[in-house]
Amino acid sequence: MTTSAEQPRTRSTEPEQSRGRGSEPRTAVVAIKRIFAAEGANYFLLLGTTIFLVVLGLVMVLSSSAVESLRDGGGGFSGFTNQGLYALIGVPLMLVVSRLPVSFFKRWAPIGIAVGIVLQLLVFTPLGWGYGGNRNWLSLAGFSMQPSELVKLALCLWLAWVLSAKPERLHDWRQLLKVVAPVAAASIGLVLVGNDLGTAVIMLAIVFGSLFFAGVRLRFLVVPGILIGMFGVLFAQLSASRRARIEAWLSGCETDYLDTCWQVQHGTWALASGGVFGVGLGNSRTKWSWLPEAENDFIFAIIGEELGLLGAAVVLLLFVVLAIAFVRIIRQQRDPFSRIVASGIMVWVISQAFVNIAVVLGILPVLGVPLPLISAGGSALITTLLGIGVALALARNRAMPTGAVGAPASERGGAA
Amino acid sequence: MRVQASPARRNRARLAVSLLAVMILALGFVVRLVDIQVVRAAELNSEAEGNRSIPVTTYGTRGDIIDRNGVPLAASVMRYDITAAPANIRDFKRRLDDGTTLTISVDRALEEIAAITGQDAAALKTLVHDALRDTPDSLWMLVEKGITGEQLGKVQALRIPWVYFENRPSRTYPNGAVAGNLVGFIGTDGPQAGLEYSADTCIAATNGSSTYERSGDGVRLPGSTVVQEEAVDGGTLHLTIDSDLQWFAQQALAEQAMAVGAEWATATVVQVDNGHILAAADWPSVDPNDVNASNVNDLGSRLFTAPYEPGSTFKAMTVAMMIDAGLVSPTTKLIAPGRFTIPGGYGEITDAWAHDDLPYTVAGILANSSNTGISVLTDMMSAEKRHAYMEAFGVGSKTAVGFLGEDAGKITDPAALDVITNYTEMFGQGITATSAQVASIYQTLGNGGVRMPLTLVTGCEHPDGTIDHLPPTDGVRVVSEKAADETVQILENVISQGGLRHNAQIPGYRVAAKTGTAEVAENGRYGGQRIVSVAGLAPAEDPKYVVVVTIGKPDTMKTSAAAAPTFKKIMTQVLTTYRVTPSTVPAPNIPLTW
Repeated sequence: MTTSAEQPRTRSTEPEQSRGRGSEPRTAVVAIKRIFAAEGANYFLLLGTTIFLVVLGLVMVLSSSAVESLRDGGGGFSGFTNQGLYALIGVPLMLVVSRLPVSFFKRWAPIGIAVGIVLQLLVFTPLGWGYGGNRNWLSLAGFSMQPSELVKLALCLWLAWVLSAKPERLHDWRQLLKVVAPVAAASIGLVLVGNDLGTAVIMLAIVFGSLFFAGVRLRFLVVPGILIGMFGVLFAQLSASRRARIEAWLSGCETDYLDTCWQVQHGTWALASGGVFGVGLGNSRTKWSWLPEAENDFIFAIIGEELGLLGAAVVLLLFVVLAIAFVRIIRQQRDPFSRIVASGIMVWVISQAFVNIAVVLGILPVLGVPLPLISAGGSALITTLLGIGVALALARNRAMPTGAVGAPASERGGAA
Repeated sequence: MRVQASPARRNRARLAVSLLAVMILALGFVVRLVDIQVVRAAELNSEAEGNRSIPVTTYGTRGDIIDRNGVPLAASVMRYDITAAPANIRDFKRRLDDGTTLTISVDRALEEIAAITGQDAAALKTLVHDALRDTPDSLWMLVEKGITGEQLGKVQALRIPWVYFENRPSRTYPNGAVAGNLVGFIGTDGPQAGLEYSADTCIAATNGSSTYERSGDGVRLPGSTVVQEEAVDGGTLHLTIDSDLQWFAQQALAEQAMAVGAEWATATVVQVDNGHILAAADWPSVDPNDVNASNVNDLGSRLFTAPYEPGSTFKAMTVAMMIDAGLVSPTTKLIAPGRFTIPGGYGEITDAWAHDDLPYTVAGILANSSNTGISVLTDMMSAEKRHAYMEAFGVGSKTAVGFLGEDAGKITDPAALDVITNYTEMFGQGITATSAQVASIYQTLGNGGVRMPLTLVTGCEHPDGTIDHLPPTDGVRVVSEKAADETVQILENVISQGGLRHNAQIPGYRVAAKTGTAEVAENGRYGGQRIVSVAGLAPAEDPKYVVVVTIGKPDTMKTSAAAAPTFKKIMTQVLTTYRVTPSTVPAPNIPLTW
């Protein structure tokens, strides 16, 4: 690590110097060099894990959606081709984003959240539509999308921008509240109005995670955390369907098989029938109209059924590797903005994955959160890939503090 | 304070703690996975299977009943039930051959089905619409049962997505009424009569069981069928019946029975050397394919189930036992009195025709069917001994066939025998026997005095090659060969010298036979009803076949002359069918009088 970190740092001094000299041609050369520079291990660790997960996702979406796609008259491959198309859009987009400079993200952070919130508002116009009780879809120019997915990414960027712009804010809870709360509340609140509890929970995690990894004192997080928790309990009690779901979850899904526990029960049965080695790819019984959202929120159950304990554990391992890759990328960032962005994206992807898996395993009540990179769903896949693209850009940018925001000298030294 | 430590170090610590937390969580998930996928897997799987696995009965094929030449008298065919899932019944789009699609309404689909199955379309619509109204979520309803494979193909070609097909193994009787009384039939609740019922342990298939898993919307999952138990096909029941001869006998019998206005009639053909029943005809016949067309009393085989007072056909047995005991020979000279006075003043026995004392030989007594002559013979042997002989001939006990509902006939215990029956039973009155028993007596006489067990079923051949239900094959010597042969010779003279000369003689063959005309006792009195019969053997010099024809309660002809033509017809057919060499020597004349 030390040696690999050494070399790029010396190389990274070049643009500073060249910029200082104001030599245009040399800047261009450096820019070209930067674009085609060899990426480090973390870049490939993140990229490789991501691609692995996306490919596994495509395979599992094909397997788990084939039956219902066929039933719905689209041919067995329609779910797969859709998802393949999203991957074909998302992966190049990710690679393009990974070439962008940090300054670009910084510039677009405030605009991004504004666009995200506006789109989220559009959901409540006739352009929006709901599905499964959640109103969080938008039809635009023939495409349907979930703006809340975009808001997640925008939230990561915006939080990093806001928290890194004035480091002193981190130590003043009033300022933090004043700056962070309105936007965060607007983003999450709109999602909650659309009745999408799962996305709201993930967004909340992004906000708290960003604050946490930005270095905000714990007590600034604990107090609002408790307040939000209390609010959450209240909110859950307000809706009869949510209350039933939570009660069923608390009672271990033994009383109410037909309604609220259907998914969890069939998810558990799917996992159980998988055993250690699985029933084999494509052989799931549960995907035959037993498990609603088999290719989506409960795809982990199908993975566990078809690929067994081994397959499920590999997926878990991949997400742990993803977390390790993120942590390594975060640790190599000098610039607080980059660090907080990468942290936010990590919290987003990892928490969403773990919440999804916990739901399938019956540890959490059914929240309706897809498994990142694997579950079917265009908006989620593309925005997650965009988020990972941002992290990849940061991984490439590891030794190049942009200098736009003065990082504390101690931190710069600390990385050595 | 630690909080005041450098922000960079604090952040690294937070990252490290978070990463650790992620790993611990992941580990926790793995533990949970192991719990679900390994520890509780069996329990959860059985729960899941209970929920989505559907047990199905797999049917073995019920065994055929075949005649001695392998002709199927009863066979299994597959029929199909059309079922539907009301939950799925709706209009659908049908892709036509030219590539266009056509929307088929539910009513239209039902009309198409009805046109194929021959159902009433309106009734079918009512049935389905009622089901849609009453049980809209049901996944099963019966549309039509028992359609043929051809109809199945047509209904399948309609490609209606909400109809399903179930196998329904069914029974068919390719030869219809031929041996229908023997074979029996299968009702809705299983075998109801005849061999279908009594040989069920042979021909019944053992149903297997298997399960398949269904999808949430009721589709059978490919590759999910698990067979718990294989279905075992039933065995093939081999009969001694010759279906061609059986047909002929039934036909001849029906013709005569209708001609004389009989209430019922039976005809039996038995092979002499082994007791195999080649034909066992009943009239009225039953067509097992259409049982409802028959009277419920005609469903069995009267040949086995209806004992009657056999009358004079019994006299051959009486003569045989006297000769066997060495008391008389065919030529022994006796007097057949005009009236035989029963000791103790209980009345007199007379013959069918009035006569003075006649100088008959034993052969003459039998040939002229003299009751008084038989009564003279009766006095020569003790009742116990006579009954022992009769029982040895099979009187009073069921034949080895053991047909469903078979009757043993009634023979009075010698100790309880009244004085009148003591005499009358020796000429077949006051005693009952079935046609099968009469045939068995003549088989014994024809077989040199050895009674072979009467046989209808030669065995049950199971699919695995094993054979059971084997009939008994051990004969019982009843009378000596000499006694039997001499009795047959006398019976031959019944034809050659007696009244049956014109009715029962078969050119080229020597036939030995005896008629019987028994009065039917009704309400304790003998009335005008008769049961007439002819029992005989051919060829007489070496008897091979027994034919017994019995006609119950004929209207227009109340003598054995009613049964004789049928006897002749059937015996002729038997001799032709089995290519029996014509007799070369004429029947020896035994003097009937002296």
